Amino acid sequence: MFLRTLHLQQFRNYAQQTVDFCAPKTILLGENAQGKTNILEAVELMATLGSHRTTRDRELVNTAATLAHVEAQVQRENGPLELGLVLRSNGRRTVSLNREVLRRHLDFLGSLNLVQFSSLDLELVRGGPERRRSWLDRLLTQLEPLYAHILGEYSRVLRQRNALLRSPNGPDPLQLAIWNEQLAALGTRVIRRRQRALDRLAPLANTWHQQLSFGQESLRVVYAPNTGLGLGEAAEIEAAFQSRLQERSSAELYQGTTLVGPHRDEVELILNQTSARQYGSQGQQRTAVIAIKLAELQLIAQVVGETPLLLLDDVLAELDVRRQQQLLESLGGSYQTLITSTHLGAFAQEWLTCAQVLIVKAGQIVPG
Amino acid sequence: MEPKTTIYTRPLARLIEQLQRLPGIGPKSAQRLALHLLKQSEEDVQALAQALIDAKHQVGYCSVCFHLSAEPVCEICSAPSRDQYTICVVADSRDVIALEKTREYRGQYHVLGGLISPMDGIGPEQLALKPLVQRVSQPGVKEVILAISPSVEGETTTLYVGHLLQPFTRVTRIAFGLPMGGDLEYADEVTLARALEGRRELGA
Repeated sequence: MFLRTLHLQQFRNYAQQTVDFCAPKTILLGENAQGKTNILEAVELMATLGSHRTTRDRELVNTAATLAHVEAQVQRENGPLELGLVLRSNGRRTVSLNREVLRRHLDFLGSLNLVQFSSLDLELVRGGPERRRSWLDRLLTQLEPLYAHILGEYSRVLRQRNALLRSPNGPDPLQLAIWNEQLAALGTRVIRRRQRALDRLAPLANTWHQQLSFGQESLRVVYAPNTGLGLGEAAEIEAAFQSRLQERSSAELYQGTTLVGPHRDEVELILNQTSARQYGSQGQQRTAVIAIKLAELQLIAQVVGETPLLLLDDVLAELDVRRQQQLLESLGGSYQTLITSTHLGAFAQEWLTCAQVLIVKAGQIVPG
Repeated sequence: MEPKTTIYTRPLARLIEQLQRLPGIGPKSAQRLALHLLKQSEEDVQALAQALIDAKHQVGYCSVCFHLSAEPVCEICSAPSRDQYTICVVADSRDVIALEKTREYRGQYHVLGGLISPMDGIGPEQLALKPLVQRVSQPGVKEVILAISPSVEGETTTLYVGHLLQPFTRVTRIAFGLPMGGDLEYADEVTLARALEGRRELGA
């Protein structure tokens, strides 16, 4: 797939801006705080209806306005798609596909696919488990849009159950049993989808990691569900979930919060049999992140049948020249790539071939 | 909020402010409605004001089913032609109105007055559950139909009410599935799964 144009109106620091993408690589060049990442954020919204920078639409709308528009034209194999999103500072949204307003936001997802790789992703290995969970959730939302719905219902049950656990006279046992049933049923759907996605991603990531480390290292991506069981029939996983809930019930009452479920899952990254998080060198960890990102691109391409976009936000400058070149070679020119950077000298010259350079300055874009 | 007091003369500003507090009415609609009301004859405005006050004074809840009613017992509960032994449980009076419009159902109702939602401080005690159990425990009740939306809270309420009533009588829940005129291929997995769950014999 190819993103042709992006149109922004009162979005973040852009009053009115159309961006035409006309090369396999687009480099957005500018000083800090000029609006480079805002462009990538708008593209991210088109793909996932979410932003990794904020959950409040108020922040996405220009402070001078109450309404922001983001529109995109995407070339898909079966023809062009026109995506539209209206954001309001009160949080209400309108999404449209080919100028038709969609009642369910679920139907909008999947029109544009992408993989993000920002300097924050370098923390994927070293950071806390919530970082890996949110990475996995964002990937799954793109692979199977329905996942967003299931995860939303799961978090709603979770919040309701937490409120019940904190009720002043202790939770009503019948009500707690019913919320447990719902938590386990929805949680099982989350767990099975996470397991399925990681089972497909892991071999791809390992192949890439071996290649990038010249056959020196292997990378294992292992799903570690908090309830202990990820593989098997839904009924077994649900039973394991329920018995964990029973085991932890007094601790949950004491702490007033749900301690069991996929909101506490971990994804383990293992380099040559040892934990990458604890023992990996910084260089090894970076190679692992690149391998995972390449695996993501490949997996989305396999599942969707078309190549996703790659967004490189301020990350190339953080990689040494050897890793930059490895990444570029591995991509093989297959993916439309949007890159932000403060200066062109920051990365290997090969990145400039077949690239379009746009200068970003104070919420405006001019050709370089 | 400053301009309001300067643009509108005070009584008009008050009217607009009141209208704007109604659901679905924004500042523009409120202004249009207010200006429209001012153009009406005094009798018409009086009639509207009286209707508002009368409705508020006279409409309460049916003592049997908790549907909105001006009488102590609502028309549905007191209609002799309706089936006395089937009770349909709904969350809200709006659901009664929606079901009545279908003209398919000829039994009784019971309005819970909400859904179980611990986040909003709504537990079973806040709903009209005790009177429901009392009604259902009377001899003769053949069936209770649970007609509650399939949200997370609706599901919990359905399961909870079902648990309370099953010792007394047959409890069913309405099927969820595809909208009429809807295309199978466009239905999402959740809807399709529910529709499969609620399948039934052909010709039954």
